[in-house]
Amino acid sequence: MKWNISTLEELEDAIWRCTACGTCKVAYDYGPPSQCREICPAGTEFGFEGFMASKGKIAFARGILSGELEWDEELVEAVYKCTICAGCQSQCQLDHKPYIPEIFEALRRKAVEAGAGPLPAQKVIAQSLRSYDNPYQGPRRVRTDWARIFKKGKQKPIKDINKEPAPLLYFVGCTGAYNVPERVIPQATASIFNKLGLDYGILGENELCCGSTAMRLGDAEAFKRMAEANLETFKKLHEKQGVETIVTACAGCYRAILKDYSLADEYEEMMKGIKVIHVSQFLYDLYKAGRLEFSGPLPWKVTYHDPCHAGRHLTKFLVDKDGSQLWAGAYISLNEEDCLYDVPRDLLKAIPGIELTEMQRIRANSYCCGGGGGVMTGFPDWAQRNAALRIQEGMETGAETMVSICPFCHYNLNQGAQGIGSPMKLLDLTELIDRVLPEKEV
Amino acid sequence: MHVTNKDAILNELASIVGKENATASKHIRYAYSYDMSFVTPKMPDYVVMASTVEQVQGVLRLANKEKIPVVPYTAGTNIGGLTIPERGGIILDLKRMNKIINIDTESHYAVIEPGVSHAQLASALYKHNLRFGWPVGPPSASVSSCAISHGIGGLNARYGLNSQEITSMEVVLPTGELVRVGSCAINPEAWHSVLPMPQMDGLFKGWLGSTGVVTKLGITVHPIPPVLKVFTVSCQNVEDMVSYMMNLSNYEICDDLTAVSWWLAQVPIPYPYKPKPENAHEWFCFANTNSFTEKEKEARVEIWETVLEEEKKKGTSIQVTQYPEEALRARTHLPSQIVGSTKNYCKQGGAGISWPGTFTPANKWAPVYNDWKKILIDHNLSPSIRMSMYRGVHYGMLRAMIPFNKKSAKETENARQAIVECLKVDLDHGGMPYKPPVDYAIEINKRAHPGYLLLLKKIKALLDPNDIMNPGKLGI
Repeated sequence: MKWNISTLEELEDAIWRCTACGTCKVAYDYGPPSQCREICPAGTEFGFEGFMASKGKIAFARGILSGELEWDEELVEAVYKCTICAGCQSQCQLDHKPYIPEIFEALRRKAVEAGAGPLPAQKVIAQSLRSYDNPYQGPRRVRTDWARIFKKGKQKPIKDINKEPAPLLYFVGCTGAYNVPERVIPQATASIFNKLGLDYGILGENELCCGSTAMRLGDAEAFKRMAEANLETFKKLHEKQGVETIVTACAGCYRAILKDYSLADEYEEMMKGIKVIHVSQFLYDLYKAGRLEFSGPLPWKVTYHDPCHAGRHLTKFLVDKDGSQLWAGAYISLNEEDCLYDVPRDLLKAIPGIELTEMQRIRANSYCCGGGGGVMTGFPDWAQRNAALRIQEGMETGAETMVSICPFCHYNLNQGAQGIGSPMKLLDLTELIDRVLPEKEV
Repeated sequence: MHVTNKDAILNELASIVGKENATASKHIRYAYSYDMSFVTPKMPDYVVMASTVEQVQGVLRLANKEKIPVVPYTAGTNIGGLTIPERGGIILDLKRMNKIINIDTESHYAVIEPGVSHAQLASALYKHNLRFGWPVGPPSASVSSCAISHGIGGLNARYGLNSQEITSMEVVLPTGELVRVGSCAINPEAWHSVLPMPQMDGLFKGWLGSTGVVTKLGITVHPIPPVLKVFTVSCQNVEDMVSYMMNLSNYEICDDLTAVSWWLAQVPIPYPYKPKPENAHEWFCFANTNSFTEKEKEARVEIWETVLEEEKKKGTSIQVTQYPEEALRARTHLPSQIVGSTKNYCKQGGAGISWPGTFTPANKWAPVYNDWKKILIDHNLSPSIRMSMYRGVHYGMLRAMIPFNKKSAKETENARQAIVECLKVDLDHGGMPYKPPVDYAIEINKRAHPGYLLLLKKIKALLDPNDIMNPGKLGI
């Protein structure tokens, strides 16, 4: 399979379109009233310009390309001190805006090619992907442990899609399967599906990592290996088991399958007849169709955290590639139709009794939880400190509970809350919906 | 710079600001080595981030003892290479000193630390229906650095330069002593005025960080009148525009009175030069007025209509023009992400932008513009010029925003040569460059009265005996 994954050299023109103006450094809305808050987790934590937003990382990219900087331990570490959250991208107004996260990841790919990256702690992920097909060093048989509860009592066993046909594949993701506190997410998701009487199945022990973590770390080869195997599986499942929809509750898997996999030249062909959808959108569509009726009330005051991977990472950019509209390479506009900003909020508002109160940094200006881009593995203490900042912001709203749609955010924000002894809990949207969705009467 | 033991210095810096806030790592130093201007990149030897006044004092005492250059840094968004270290040394990054210490909503002043950005202060002031003169720069730029460098803002026609809004200062001298000027020097809680005492704030304004580090700044803030009215006109030539602006300026009704040439009105500035369409006007002007009542606005409208009539009677080509919505927003919704040195200016050029930015008498704007236009077009650069009137008087900012392809050394040098040539023309007409890169400082000093240079050197030597503060920037 041929992949259109850019090298740093291929992005050189975009890199030189950064003026170093620093607009990327803060999330700012004119309003009125105007609002201004930090947007860059690395800049907030480390402060020096090199760490600060896209201005800083592009300096590193420029230095590596020009030969003025060489890989050494400190530079490699600096390159990985970024959550690839794209908060800076949301602020930038220049022509390289559409490529900013790609430039950071291309810089990491360059480090990997040079044998300098990723960081030692992160190399374990690549090894684990090779040995176990997941980044958590978990044996394959453990992948379905979360589903044991469905084999007991009145619960309906989950279909093994390798053996039985179903139109819906629930792609669980490694975090939900292997990270024990996160198992609540697949459990809630499957419970909802069961209550709705959906015909769905899982890959079980045959599910492979989506490859997102490898891609974020710059390990393109590991990513491609996982992605190609998954695309083959999806194609086979479509042809032999009738799969038409892949639904996932993991923002990272969703971004990877929707966006990263599309860099393969055979993507359209492999995914022909298959739609990939995040569970929040999937449930929202059912809600709009009148198939999701909530019992209630759930008298909670909640705030919502936009995950980067299900939010601004899905922004589409219009670029004047041939110069026919403005000039060659001009960034023209953006389209947020794929960004899951309104869907989870509308679902929350639909739950009787829920009072949604917003934080200051939301939607495209959401403040990253601090767990992405390999930071949770490479710098766990920093990831937790950053999550605590977000929890504090949530607490400022007066909400008791924070809700999100990403298992990474779920884990890291709960870690952050624990770190500062906050009573605030982060719940996945599926957990809330499962609470208020009544059992279907048989 | 002569340092015998870099590790020892780094250790001492770390002991002052903390290990995490001092570095000599090449990649970090590299990130501070360039900006968007044509100024040749140069690396500092160390970068430190200070969080307290005591840390700033500690860094300066060490630097003074070891004779190491120090360059104060907030956001690095100027377009004159002002924080590029001419002689290496220490970049003193002040972004973490970003507290808004006080907003006095009754006396109408604010006290801020140097790292406070325009976006941050605008958000805080807005809660009290107050404002400041926001420049057309990135929202992350420092209020303090703009003000002490005689930066401009959106209230220049009403209140003057942002440096004229300064009410008090706390400064760490290059030798490490903490000093105060203005009312806060007599009563630590009073930050309302630099007068009536000797106006010593001048020792630190316009010196490009070469006489000390301002650690607290008092600035005047103003109520936001709710009724906005923008008068927009265009005309065929610069002479007619200057006539209109001088006439309107007499009435002192504008917060901002600015005209831009056709090339600057484009989004972005054309690079390289392209001719203006035959039927397009060459100059466009927006005059922002803010009134507290509709009646007050109507009175301003009446004055403006009188000015228009007078200009028509003179036979000028002034016409009422609809200004493009985006451009209008960019001038009235400040601070803004979409203006300044980002999208509008240098997007097409390729990351580089510099200027001959000057204060020039309004009656010289036309001859200077006509010469600049020729010089710039000869260099295949757009004559993207702005003229802004200051505080009722007939002088103001005349500047050209010149984008260029920074990746190309040849195109960067072409821009530098054109800009310096423009600057010489302006100096010959009595103009004065502001926030000048070293190339301009050299031209200024060539023309300077010997007594000016003598005084400059004496003051510098008094405050900074070892010449450690941003050395080389003043061209002396």
